[in-house]
Amino acid sequence: MHGYIKTGNSQPAWLFPFVVIIVLMLSVLPLAHLAMVGIAAFANGGVMTVLSEASLWSATYYTIVTAILGTIISLVIGCLFAFLLTLTDIRGKGLLSFFFVLPMMIPPQVTALAWVQMSGPSSPLLKALHIAPPLGSPQPLYSVGGIALLYGVQHAPLVYLALRAGLMTLPRDGVEAARLSGASSLRVFRDIILPLSLPGIIAGAAISFVSCTGNFGIPAILGIPASIFTLPTLIFTKFSAFTSRTFGDVAVLSAIIASISVVGLMIQDRALRDRDYRVIGLSGASAAFELGAWRLVFTPLVWAILFFMLAAPFFALVAGALVPAYGVPLTFKTMSLHAFEEILFRQAVTRTAFINSLSLAGATALCLLVVTVLAAYALARRRDLASRIVSSLIEIPYSLPGIVIAVCFILVFAAPIPILHVSLYGTIWIILIAYFSSFFAVSLKPVVSAFHQLDPALEEAARLSGAGFFRRLFDIIVPLIAPAAGASVILVFLIACNELTISALLWSAGTQTLGVAIYNLDDSGSSDLASALSVLVVLMVIVLMLLLEILAKRLPKGVVPWRG
Amino acid sequence: MKTIVSAAALLAASLFAIPASAANLVLYTSQPNEDAQATVDGFMAANPDIKVDWVRDGTPKIMAKLQAEIQAGNPVADVLLIADVVTLERLKQDGKLMAYKSPEAAGYDAALYDADGYYYSTKLITTGIIYNTSAAMKPASWKDLTKPEAKGLVTMPSPLASGAALIHAQTLAAVPGLGWDFYKSLAENGAIAAGGNGAVLKSVASGEKAYGMVVDYLPIREKAKGAPVEFVFPSEGVSAVTEPVGILASTKNADAAKAFVDYVLSEKGQQGFLKLGYIPARNGMKLPEGFPARDTIKILPIKAAEALKNTDQDLKTFSGIYRSN
Repeated sequence: MHGYIKTGNSQPAWLFPFVVIIVLMLSVLPLAHLAMVGIAAFANGGVMTVLSEASLWSATYYTIVTAILGTIISLVIGCLFAFLLTLTDIRGKGLLSFFFVLPMMIPPQVTALAWVQMSGPSSPLLKALHIAPPLGSPQPLYSVGGIALLYGVQHAPLVYLALRAGLMTLPRDGVEAARLSGASSLRVFRDIILPLSLPGIIAGAAISFVSCTGNFGIPAILGIPASIFTLPTLIFTKFSAFTSRTFGDVAVLSAIIASISVVGLMIQDRALRDRDYRVIGLSGASAAFELGAWRLVFTPLVWAILFFMLAAPFFALVAGALVPAYGVPLTFKTMSLHAFEEILFRQAVTRTAFINSLSLAGATALCLLVVTVLAAYALARRRDLASRIVSSLIEIPYSLPGIVIAVCFILVFAAPIPILHVSLYGTIWIILIAYFSSFFAVSLKPVVSAFHQLDPALEEAARLSGAGFFRRLFDIIVPLIAPAAGASVILVFLIACNELTISALLWSAGTQTLGVAIYNLDDSGSSDLASALSVLVVLMVIVLMLLLEILAKRLPKGVVPWRG
Repeated sequence: MKTIVSAAALLAASLFAIPASAANLVLYTSQPNEDAQATVDGFMAANPDIKVDWVRDGTPKIMAKLQAEIQAGNPVADVLLIADVVTLERLKQDGKLMAYKSPEAAGYDAALYDADGYYYSTKLITTGIIYNTSAAMKPASWKDLTKPEAKGLVTMPSPLASGAALIHAQTLAAVPGLGWDFYKSLAENGAIAAGGNGAVLKSVASGEKAYGMVVDYLPIREKAKGAPVEFVFPSEGVSAVTEPVGILASTKNADAAKAFVDYVLSEKGQQGFLKLGYIPARNGMKLPEGFPARDTIKILPIKAAEALKNTDQDLKTFSGIYRSN
């Protein structure tokens, strides 16, 4: 490898241009297409009509408010779990961690439905306790607070995983040195742990915030009945009333969402600027604190949180799948397996959706990882304007609602590809490429924060001894960032598996994803079938996670994110 | 780098592996999944050499999908089986449909299909009132939903998500004594409009709301399964959609598409709909379990051409009343 950019920079010359080309293909090209449509709308005076609509400004307001509140809730829950499960001697860590990551796997629209069932007038849970509200009581979740609460629940595992990846790499020597000098636990936490875990917390907050602004499943189910529209649901309803102006309108709405996300990311960038978090060595500071009597407080607290995040919605789902018809009380007499029978043996869509979602999620996670490691290397080492611009460009598709990305790719791939003469539209490939674009940022985040904590000295030493770029990559960098890379693959897989908003517009006959299948079943009034399929999805996820758990012993430490 | 090259090569190779066009018939429908699967299964049993892929969504959404595909110059669907003739009339005027004179049309009232053979009604789906059995009032007319007893307890499908709901609003808006004022007083009474008919059924069956406007077959079918709901044909009359079938002009499987149209119009296909709880459109067929005699159901008229012309305006009016853009 020759032709370095400048001395002291160990990047091969092709690396950054390569990353730029990928980003151009995945972010700039589709968005430029949409921008052109938007500009055309601008020229026709369509923009003023959109901008003068009150609905747009109220949707903007609700998007920002729910996203901020949701991020705060997810930070509180996510940080609590991350610190407790990584740094203390709380019992049943493995189990707790396993369960805590699980809710992320439940598609947001299913979570929302399950919570609505838990707390509505017909909630089996409340009926059993004789505290069910009377017929027609307003559903408390149909509110800004309800949306924010479920955002928090949905995205807390994202914060947890982002922060945990950082906590795993805390220097044990720092903690031990402080201990030996007689510092109290609180002091160690405040002066050593907290400052060093800031990148993880901020990264988690950023992931959570952009996920909230682009979430569709939760505000669709909790917001629309109360006429609370966020920008993604507003876009979706605009699409449901398709006119010649739709693309132009959507372009304008997307620009607003993009700017909200960019502002959020600029705040993140500011917070992390001018700080160097790189530490020497890699020894997890796990179980640095003993809980002692506090165990009596924290143990019930975390289990109670898990019960509400996981057990209660899951039982609501199972109940929903076993009732013969909606609203029938569930007893041993009324219980019926009809829904499972229909889903497993009659609906052709079930098998299709499982195969599609699993292969899409797997392909997305693995292909992205290859690009991500190279991109993270380039971006972490070049701290200049160009790399900041590239980072933002990677971030934008993820911060846009999936439906906008879907439209971009429809516009790009509408016509057959020039050289190959194949049309991707209506095939599974268009969904895959849209996933690449949309989840690039998810894949990149944990890897970049691992790079930020990497001491360049090791690699420099290898370079001075004459090791080439790939040699250094495979022998030094990959082992050091393996935990973050594993977290990245699993994160992308989990999110892609239950993705709904992108595939909602790109799916076609035979390319339905699980998210589409569930949403569609529910939408057509077959909530028993939707619940049955959701139960199967959750079971599949548990099986997949258990497989990883079994494999964990053979993988580098920290690859399986929920394991200590 | 090697990995990337081989991954790219693999991707390119698999792209070539995709057949240019599968020889399957693709159906876009707004029927609920179980019904769509049953219809397709029945057709495939009668025509074992044709494989059908189907896609289900609310009529406005499936039309949005189709429009996007048409704009992209690559419509995937061969056959449409969706809520209302107004939508298909629009496609016909845009030149997107193929004319086909089905021999089965002889068994149908001439008002139920397009004279040029662009689309054929397959069943009769009326929209009436669903109520939860524990509701205090037993509604008998549309007007009852504006009474104080129903304050904050009424839900209806949104015309943005359901084709039947749009036709329903346009039908009631043209009835003297109801009109848009009726929708305004409903909104003042705290009624909400969200999602499709499935959402309304769930909301009322679960007791979140007590009353709703909904298509007939859902509550009648669920009541038979034990759901705590009742369905009423209101005294002013009900709106109706006829779930027409039509073939897209862009189809590459014209023969299979024609076979599908013949099947859903045939005695056998209509029996299938009957078994699923729909009122068949074909002459001389029985009504499903749980329906009153056909002559007691008063169906309100709708002028398709006018409805088509006013669609955008009516959607705006509705959204204005229900703040759902």
